[in-house]
Amino acid sequence: MPKVKIPRKSTAIDMTAMCDVAFLLLTFFILTTKFRAAEVVQIDIPSSTAQIPIPDKDIMMFNIAPDGRMFFGLDDQNTRLKLLDRLIEKYGIQLDAKQRDAFRTLELWGMDIRTLPQFLSKESNERAQILQPGLKIDTTGGAQIEDLILFSRQENNNLRIAIKCDKTTEYKAFDKLIEALQNRKVNKFNLITSARTAKE
Amino acid sequence: MAEMNVPAGGGGKKGHKKARSKKMSTRVDLTAMVDLGFLLITFFMLATTFNKPKTMEVNKPAKEDDKKEEEPPIKMSKTLSLMLTSRDNVVYFVSPDDIDANTQIAMDSVDYSSSGLRKVIQRRQSEVKAQWGNQDDLFIMIKPLPKSKYKNIVDVLDEMNINSVKRYAILPPNDPIDSVIALKIGEVRK
Repeated sequence: MPKVKIPRKSTAIDMTAMCDVAFLLLTFFILTTKFRAAEVVQIDIPSSTAQIPIPDKDIMMFNIAPDGRMFFGLDDQNTRLKLLDRLIEKYGIQLDAKQRDAFRTLELWGMDIRTLPQFLSKESNERAQILQPGLKIDTTGGAQIEDLILFSRQENNNLRIAIKCDKTTEYKAFDKLIEALQNRKVNKFNLITSARTAKE
Repeated sequence: MAEMNVPAGGGGKKGHKKARSKKMSTRVDLTAMVDLGFLLITFFMLATTFNKPKTMEVNKPAKEDDKKEEEPPIKMSKTLSLMLTSRDNVVYFVSPDDIDANTQIAMDSVDYSSSGLRKVIQRRQSEVKAQWGNQDDLFIMIKPLPKSKYKNIVDVLDEMNINSVKRYAILPPNDPIDSVIALKIGEVRK
């Protein structure tokens, strides 16, 4: 009797389709990803039923940490540079090209404006280690926060104000910021919250 | 696992002289490429922030630099005052129209949940409707104490939204009645 030969099948699979799918997904994720900026402070935002998505551009961002420290950031790098020029003029600080570039890429910061040059001269990984003291908001700081609001809005008229506070931030700190904004005739602002349903 | 890319026929031209150009397989082993693709997908999936945060729009009345015509004061019986305390609850009361030393104010405290504050607002809405004919006449005065949490104010503003309260304002707790209440619940007003 002849032996029944079992034909050997190759274990190789055609990977082309799988590869296509993988790269299609990859492309999708690459295009949709917006990287989260390294956070200066950890902020746990409260939730609300508000449904308005945060605008994509022209944002002036204020963050308030649980301990009341306040941080400031603009989303557009050109506006940042224009703002810096105004600050240099007003506060008489000296910055070289490297420090200017460091400011251009600074997402969020909170300190006395006069200490900015010293902070900017450090390397970026060194900067991340430093505990920033928060913006000067009281009158001894010459109401620096009001200057920031004024100058930024003069440089970019379409700026919207977004406020991101921690759940546990005391109302006092938030109220100070609102007052500074209102002193600069800003009466409309957005509070950043995460979504939830009304039933919760 | 995967096939090895062994050169077919052991070295092309050498073996058979007749076949001038030995047909090479066009199949490339894609396993490694797929591996790489999925690795990158995993990375981007994890790095993506999916739920974009929402925003709650707040409009504050402009500070009166130029004194406008004073509006007639609101009837206190149309109002509800909410004082946000440092203990994650809210004290609610209806201020009387006139206060003197022996005014009694009914006040109570609730939490921010849907069974707490929301019930209070809805009850007050129906009271106002019964008395004035329109529940939108209700005016809610939100008075956050300095030690109250940011979350509380967001919760209260959210309740205004949920219960479609048309008229409300965030006010500093500066009325005489507020000091009485704050004293009673043992909170600092400034």
